Amino acid sequence: MSPLASTWAAEVAAVFAKEWRCELRTKVALNTLGLFAVTTLVVASVSLGPLGVSKAQGSALLPVLLWLILLFSVAAGLPRAFVQEEESQTATALRLSATPSALFCGKLLYSLTLVVALEALITPIYVTIMNLQVARPGLLVTALAAGGYGLAAGSTLVAAIIAQARSKGTLFSVLSFPILLPLLILVIELTRNAVLGDPAGMALAQLLLYDASVSIFGLMLFPVVWNP
Amino acid sequence: MTKLHFENVRRRFGRLSVLQGVSGTVLPGEALLVTGPNGSGKSTLLRCLAGILAPDGGRIDYQEDERALDLAERRLRIGYVAPDLAFYSELTVAENLQFFARLRRVSPERGFEVLDRLALPTDRMVGTLSSGMRQRLRWGWALLHRPRLLLLDEPFQNLDAPGEEGTRALLHEHLEQTPGGLAVIANPASLEIDRVTARIDLGR
Repeated sequence: MSPLASTWAAEVAAVFAKEWRCELRTKVALNTLGLFAVTTLVVASVSLGPLGVSKAQGSALLPVLLWLILLFSVAAGLPRAFVQEEESQTATALRLSATPSALFCGKLLYSLTLVVALEALITPIYVTIMNLQVARPGLLVTALAAGGYGLAAGSTLVAAIIAQARSKGTLFSVLSFPILLPLLILVIELTRNAVLGDPAGMALAQLLLYDASVSIFGLMLFPVVWNP
Repeated sequence: MTKLHFENVRRRFGRLSVLQGVSGTVLPGEALLVTGPNGSGKSTLLRCLAGILAPDGGRIDYQEDERALDLAERRLRIGYVAPDLAFYSELTVAENLQFFARLRRVSPERGFEVLDRLALPTDRMVGTLSSGMRQRLRWGWALLHRPRLLLLDEPFQNLDAPGEEGTRALLHEHLEQTPGGLAVIANPASLEIDRVTARIDLGR
């Protein structure tokens, strides 16, 4: 690795470590994501339960429900990635110290680990409670990985865009819709294929393309929205 | 050679024109003092010079070793002390310095040395610091990467007598000993500082 790349990677690692150190001391995002995820999971399982839907209905309905739980849990916790920096006035010190691309990637990496932890907590419980039979578990894991990355990258990008706006909550909803909607459509289709045992088809390729596009778009856009 | 030159810098906030064509030049070993009442645009000028606020018009040139730095480079090279500069309250003073040192790709030693001189304990959580202690931390953070250009907005605010004496000594050393060291200082009232070679009164 070149010295430039290694120092850039060190900056990313510093941001990532700082995010987790602050999070483990305040537990704001962990509590928000965890509480929302568990609450919606319990509500869904009590309402539908393993016997609430037939197997045929379940394969169509349950993947949608799983991703809605994950989406709304993420939406409850991740938008604060940059808003917190602005509100606590630490953004100025960051602007004067960090390379924007390294800051974006450090924040993205932190969001990704939160989403992965959330998926690791929610998915096994959900599959068990709902008695969801997954014909291709490997494809489900792929869908969770690619979909989780898309959720983290999309949320981090939107969080960066709204950080300096006044109506942050409203703007997050408005911007998230066009950015996260294609992701949800693709990842739900892929999860459904995993449940039914169908091949991944074009959904996986399109999902990976979406992930790459959001990452590149985020890296290009972030320096513009972050700095004046 | 290090040189800061700005010319006809203008900035509006909506209909309110805060900076109306401010110009100045600072050379190594020199300090420019900007004074004026509250709301006269001192902080706005420093934020424009730091590159964290875009001016509506005018030109800002900052050179190090005869080379003009672009905006992104300027941001990462300057030292900045200002009342609205905050650090992570969930981290200790030492953890904050180490984090910013890693971002700036320097050793945190210089920051610790400054804080030691200013008698700020580094094991305290930032959230528990008094306003004077936070001001000391701002100085430690600003000098962490041994910048040549210091932008100081009310640099002695909230400091007690030993704190002000210590930070004045740091400023004096910066202007005397740092190769190419220069400073722009904004304060509501005039300050007695040895190396001030030019003054801008935004109240006029």
